[in-house]
Amino acid sequence: MIRTFLACILSLTLAAPALAHRVNVFASVQDVDGTEFVVVEARFSTGRIPVSGDVTVEDAQGEELFVVALESDGTARFPLDREVASDGLSIVVQTGDNHEGYWLLTPADLGEEN
Amino acid sequence: MKFVISTAFAALIAAAPVAAHYGMIIPSTPMLAQEDGRSVDLAISFSHPFEEAGMILERPEAFTVTHEGEATDLLGALEEATIMGETGYTLSHTLDRPGTHIFAMTPVPYWEPAEDAFIQHFTKTYVSAYGDDEGWDAELGLRTEIVPLSKPFGLWEGNVFQGIVMLEGEAVPYAEIEVEFYNEGQQTAAPSELMITQTIKADENGVFTYATPSAGWWGFAALNTAPETMAFEGEEKAVELGAVIWVHFEEWISQ
Repeated sequence: MIRTFLACILSLTLAAPALAHRVNVFASVQDVDGTEFVVVEARFSTGRIPVSGDVTVEDAQGEELFVVALESDGTARFPLDREVASDGLSIVVQTGDNHEGYWLLTPADLGEEN
Repeated sequence: MKFVISTAFAALIAAAPVAAHYGMIIPSTPMLAQEDGRSVDLAISFSHPFEEAGMILERPEAFTVTHEGEATDLLGALEEATIMGETGYTLSHTLDRPGTHIFAMTPVPYWEPAEDAFIQHFTKTYVSAYGDDEGWDAELGLRTEIVPLSKPFGLWEGNVFQGIVMLEGEAVPYAEIEVEFYNEGQQTAAPSELMITQTIKADENGVFTYATPSAGWWGFAALNTAPETMAFEGEEKAVELGAVIWVHFEEWISQ
């Protein structure tokens, strides 16, 4: 499983565009009224916020789970399914102008003991 | 007689005071990538970095981390440790958000008999988390500090580092800045004692510039004398206020 996760990291790293105008992605788990959400935040390296884009969520095996749209404030959120996410999630943001960045939500980020 | 003189000379050399003192905050990395984990380990000391000669660091008055303008007290989390042979502290700290996290220490004033003065080095180190450098030029509002004009991480060896020396909120024209390399593992030797600690001066706006010859951690200490004195054994003594910043320069690797 760790190997799969590492392979996933590697392929993402290799695929990451090396541009001056990067998009940084960060995701964390937040509790809203007893429901856990994954909150995704995207920001260009210039500090500007991307106003549109897609967020692709994959499981640790690289299986695409779903795609959600980036809100105009550069964020997206979706409910956390701990069963599906138990080995981690890959979250890739592709902005409207075709910049790409990712965050790997690890089992440790989710408080899972692995 | 010749033997006696050379023995005396050797003893003098052995007893010669090592170069400048530095408050030191050295993180395990200046730029934490998400693949590296979620925390940095800090080594906190009061040392002579070029010679790796440690001194006792008393538990500081304050130790904080500042992110997006919000300071968090970490003093209680410092764990006593031996660093460069003397008492220092370590700390493992989780960086829970992207951006620049600034670690800062206010030590208790240290009595230095050789200089007949107290020394207090306000020390800080900037760490970027997860590819985001937002906040790299933040000023903490310390009594004295070096405010970076160059990003204090993500620099190549040979790049210049520029900063403004601030004291009580004002730039210090022609401030004196001592520059010293953290010579970890004694990787280099200085051809002259003058080059263990290099001294430069700021311009009329308090701005200084220094180009490093090699990768690694470099300490910049701007030294000023406080307007007040402190008592030592019934006598009033001068207090040296140091603004220290530690900056890492990355190795340039040709392919």
